[in-house]
Amino acid sequence: MFYQPTDMAEALRLRAELGPEVVTVCGGTDVVVAMNHGVARPEAFLDLSRVAGRDSVERVNGIYLLGGGVTFAQMAKLPVRALAEAARSVGGPQIRNVGTIAGNLGTASPAGDGSVALLALDAEVELSHVERGSRWVRLEEFFLDYKRTALQPDELITRVRFPSDFESVWYKIGKRGAVNISIVCCAIGRSPAGAYRIALGSVGPVPMRAMEAEAVLNGDSTDAAHRAVAYLADEVIERAAEAAELEAAPIDDQRSSARYREAMCRVLVRRLLRELRDG
Amino acid sequence: MGDSGGAWHLSCTVNGEPVEAEVDPRITLLTFLREHLLLTGTKGACLEGECGSCTVIVDGRPINSCLMLAGQAQGCSIQTIEGIGDDKKLHALQKHFIATGAAQCGYCTPGLIMAAKAMLDANPSPTEQEFTTAIEANICRCTGYESIRQAIRDAYREIHG
Repeated sequence: MFYQPTDMAEALRLRAELGPEVVTVCGGTDVVVAMNHGVARPEAFLDLSRVAGRDSVERVNGIYLLGGGVTFAQMAKLPVRALAEAARSVGGPQIRNVGTIAGNLGTASPAGDGSVALLALDAEVELSHVERGSRWVRLEEFFLDYKRTALQPDELITRVRFPSDFESVWYKIGKRGAVNISIVCCAIGRSPAGAYRIALGSVGPVPMRAMEAEAVLNGDSTDAAHRAVAYLADEVIERAAEAAELEAAPIDDQRSSARYREAMCRVLVRRLLRELRDG
Repeated sequence: MGDSGGAWHLSCTVNGEPVEAEVDPRITLLTFLREHLLLTGTKGACLEGECGSCTVIVDGRPINSCLMLAGQAQGCSIQTIEGIGDDKKLHALQKHFIATGAAQCGYCTPGLIMAAKAMLDANPSPTEQEFTTAIEANICRCTGYESIRQAIRDAYREIHG
């Protein structure tokens, strides 16, 4: 069976009616890989590639609102540095032309570059049900465990939103220049009020925030004077970088050792904070 | 488009020709092209989007045909290596791939040419970085890429005078 709705209301109705054995697909860059390798044998698909308006990008009242079908190629052109650079680092043109942000979030890989960038940008994801309506979920609460999310089987990821006024930086360590899965990646966002958000990829079961490192920078959030916003002293940066190394919880795998990844968390947090400070 | 059991009626355009076929929409576009239309110029290798050998152009954009389901090609215009030139009149990219020795074993060549063609079609004045990015997800294990990049630059010059 192959369902190909052309509008979101129909897609939501189908998602709620059909059982979990019907696999949601759009770009296919995760689902079809699993199928080609015999890891998954879906009997039926709900194809979202024809749903009108799913690739819309809006900026309204200081908020970016992306349809779930926005591709990496589209995100690579946004004036949102961490997200654009993360998107450019994914796959090659062929993957970026079809891979979507909803797919990246829904797959919930710890190495999901788009997910890590969005985490640093304080993003929320919209999960929709045909009758229950929509709920916005912060990414911290969306990623539950390794490749497990708060998305219910009868819901679809419909949109993503995040503030448009964050400064942000991004760096990814991989083995080559393209078609490159993160060994470690890091995104840091800074709100106009000077609060930092540090996100790390491939160092835990889900894209994670480095809360201890953030606490070094943000201090008591009620006391703006203690924030490091005015000047990130080298000593403050070093303490944040060390905290990130300590709180990362990576594993050894075919791409890297856990120890290397921990060490690189310190390096990336230090490098990116200096970049934010020095411009 | 509603549901469908088993075979589907797929309407699309392949190399400018309308195609109507009864197919299982769950097979990949690569399988449809090679096994149903017998267009075996498009190659499959990694089947996971890493190597680019299955690259075709769908509605003007390069994609991995191993990762697109046949049903997702409904209504699309698809271009494969068979559609861009022939023995009598080669495409500029084909001509310059031969001239520079950019094809050795040749398995990656159709994918590389389609990836390069998509970029040249869309971009009238590519930067050096854009020449590289266009083929960054196409793996060749014979040539070392320099002759490939040269062939694409030469084709660009021929096309744009």
